[in-house]
Amino acid sequence: MNWKVPIYGYKIQSKLYGEGILKEIKRVMDGGDYILRKDVEDFENNFAKLIGSKYAVGVNSCTDALRLSFRLIHLQKDDEVIVPAHTFLASLDAIVDAGGKPVLIDVGKDHNLDTSKIEKAITNKTVAILPVHLNGRCCNMDKVMELAEKYKLYVIEDAAQALCATYKGKCAGTWGSTGSFSFFPAKLLGTIGDGGMVVTDNESYYNKLKAMRDYGRVKGEEQVVLYGQNSRLDNVHAAILNYKLPFVEGWIARRREIAEMYAKAFKGLPIKTLPSSLEASDYYDVFQNYPIMVERRDKLVEFLEHKKIEILIHWKTPFTKQKELRLGKFKAPMAEKIASEVLSLPMYPELTDEQVTYVCDSIRGFFK
Amino acid sequence: MANWKVPFVNYPLQYSLIKSELDEAYYRIMQQGDLIFRKDLIDFENNIAKRVNQKHGISMDSCTNAMFLSLYALGIGKGDEVITVDHTYIATIDVIVRCGATPVLIDVCDDFNMNPNLIDSAITKKTKAIIPVHLNGRSCDMDSIKTIADKYELLIIEDVAQSLGAFYKGKPVGSYGISSCYSLYPAKILGSYGDGGIACVNDDDLAMKLYLLRDHGERPSYLKTEYEKKMKDNIIEMYGFNTLLDNIQCAWLNVKLKYFDGWLKRRREIASIYNGRLSNCESLKLPPAPSNGDYYDIYQNYVIRSNRRDELVEYLGDNGIEVLIKWRTPNYKQKALKNLHKFKLPKTDEISNEVISLPMYPELTNEQIEYTCDVVCKFYKERGI
Repeated sequence: MNWKVPIYGYKIQSKLYGEGILKEIKRVMDGGDYILRKDVEDFENNFAKLIGSKYAVGVNSCTDALRLSFRLIHLQKDDEVIVPAHTFLASLDAIVDAGGKPVLIDVGKDHNLDTSKIEKAITNKTVAILPVHLNGRCCNMDKVMELAEKYKLYVIEDAAQALCATYKGKCAGTWGSTGSFSFFPAKLLGTIGDGGMVVTDNESYYNKLKAMRDYGRVKGEEQVVLYGQNSRLDNVHAAILNYKLPFVEGWIARRREIAEMYAKAFKGLPIKTLPSSLEASDYYDVFQNYPIMVERRDKLVEFLEHKKIEILIHWKTPFTKQKELRLGKFKAPMAEKIASEVLSLPMYPELTDEQVTYVCDSIRGFFK
Repeated sequence: MANWKVPFVNYPLQYSLIKSELDEAYYRIMQQGDLIFRKDLIDFENNIAKRVNQKHGISMDSCTNAMFLSLYALGIGKGDEVITVDHTYIATIDVIVRCGATPVLIDVCDDFNMNPNLIDSAITKKTKAIIPVHLNGRSCDMDSIKTIADKYELLIIEDVAQSLGAFYKGKPVGSYGISSCYSLYPAKILGSYGDGGIACVNDDDLAMKLYLLRDHGERPSYLKTEYEKKMKDNIIEMYGFNTLLDNIQCAWLNVKLKYFDGWLKRRREIASIYNGRLSNCESLKLPPAPSNGDYYDIYQNYVIRSNRRDELVEYLGDNGIEVLIKWRTPNYKQKALKNLHKFKLPKTDEISNEVISLPMYPELTNEQIEYTCDVVCKFYKERGI
């Protein structure tokens, strides 16, 4: 399909950054530097600095960043982890992989953890809270940290969608024991394949994470300190991400601009949007995605696709209704409402004002 | 990097030979935005599956994850025992432990591969599977291993990380297991530009489980109906992982595949020169020479054994030849891996004291190979051994 407004900006990004990326690839290949070389180390340092954490460890995906985090805190069989009912499945996969049990709580109007519901979900088996900073907006971390402290729980943050988003000036991912980030191509800072990062301020976690991602090795080939895995970030991805890093600030500014255009255009329509980026508040949002909620969702999607606007639905079936996940006992009415009404509009810095206006006009047209 | 006369690997040299084709693939991928799970990945999987004569190829972000997910999908877990060798990369043992199962390590033969005579006495009521490791580009004695596996109804999962392209009795290595896992690590004969691997299987159910586990339990879109795609629903069939191989790596690997057979041929040629020249050093133990018989070896590594190993390594280094030792410490003697300390593996001990991997890659010149042989022979001559 020849979209007027595609959901991802890969093609236009390739025009803008393709040569710069290729230069990095060639440098890496000319040097034969493929596995855990200087680019990974540089990128880890740059990334840690960017978000204000002490240490960063490059891994092959955000899923593995989360998986390793739960192995790090020695999650035991049947340990419970509190997690929002509306998020990408990776958050649950990581808990289950470590042997734990996800305990779903509902989300609020901003699609993030409804922190007023955490305390009631805590039992004597609860070990950790997994706040997910969805769509580029940080959770209410004061509340999360307060409860974590009160009940002695770990906080493992999923910041896959929230690079540089802040709450009260502190970045998503820097509040808990670890924070996990994604460099999936569609992300604000994306590579040309899968990649992820774990950040932490704890030195012993840092050392352990480095061993875990690389077969338990520490110094050189021969010394093994634990049973590990292969969760390495490819050096070539680190080189590409380093190249892209200086653009991040500008990209976020543009995303916030687009979010404002959307919000303004939808005023007065029966559309629920994310909170506005301009409102003075504790939250600095980076708009990784722009989901809206509409009662006649499927009709609108069909209408927009007809207008050659590409749409995503994240996600149509909520966890509580996924049979194979066996999570039906949890009550999450807001998450279920989101699932039945949500759709994601195109959101990336390379969208032109004309494209954004076209999307806005099309949606206004639908409601007329 | 030191200026070696004969470096152990030379990635940039190979890259320079195929650079333009790799760039072409890059531009095509980028222009289409084909970054995750696109046609190049599916093509690559078909190419490999066809080559090893299996129905399905399921690419992964590493051979380790191909192995892990195979064990996991087959239900191997807590309380189960899995028999494998100690003389292997630690990954083989890691995946057993990661499943919650117990590794049972046995010794190897002089060709560095599993000694089938030792399997029987390692079997208990808890044994569920055997992982033969085809090391250095040579198959294990699979007929013997298969006979025992059948007798005790054990699963075979093959670790073929180092032997894509090798044959055993006319069949591609990896033909005996319910799952066979290959590595695409950069140093491999078919190496990607980062980590990568692939599991090859014939069983449709196992293949489907691997597809699902690889990508968060959701069916890949090319296995969905048009209706399912149109509905944009996210039906999750099981808890899973993210172990996808990058589409761009698959595109690059497809380029490399065109050269693969030539590279194998050249490796066998080099092995032949090494074997011919080094057989003059009587106390040196050499790997089997290239043959067209039961074992068609492809020399992922060329590993010799010397009873004066450390001296020889130093001598080679002084003469500008870079070598590796794989591995100096057997896995069961790693201090941190306490549950392995109970095993007794004399052949593994002996090997770990003697092994040296000589430079082995298709781009080596005959002069470099001859020079390496000269230096080894000189070492033995000077010492009168």
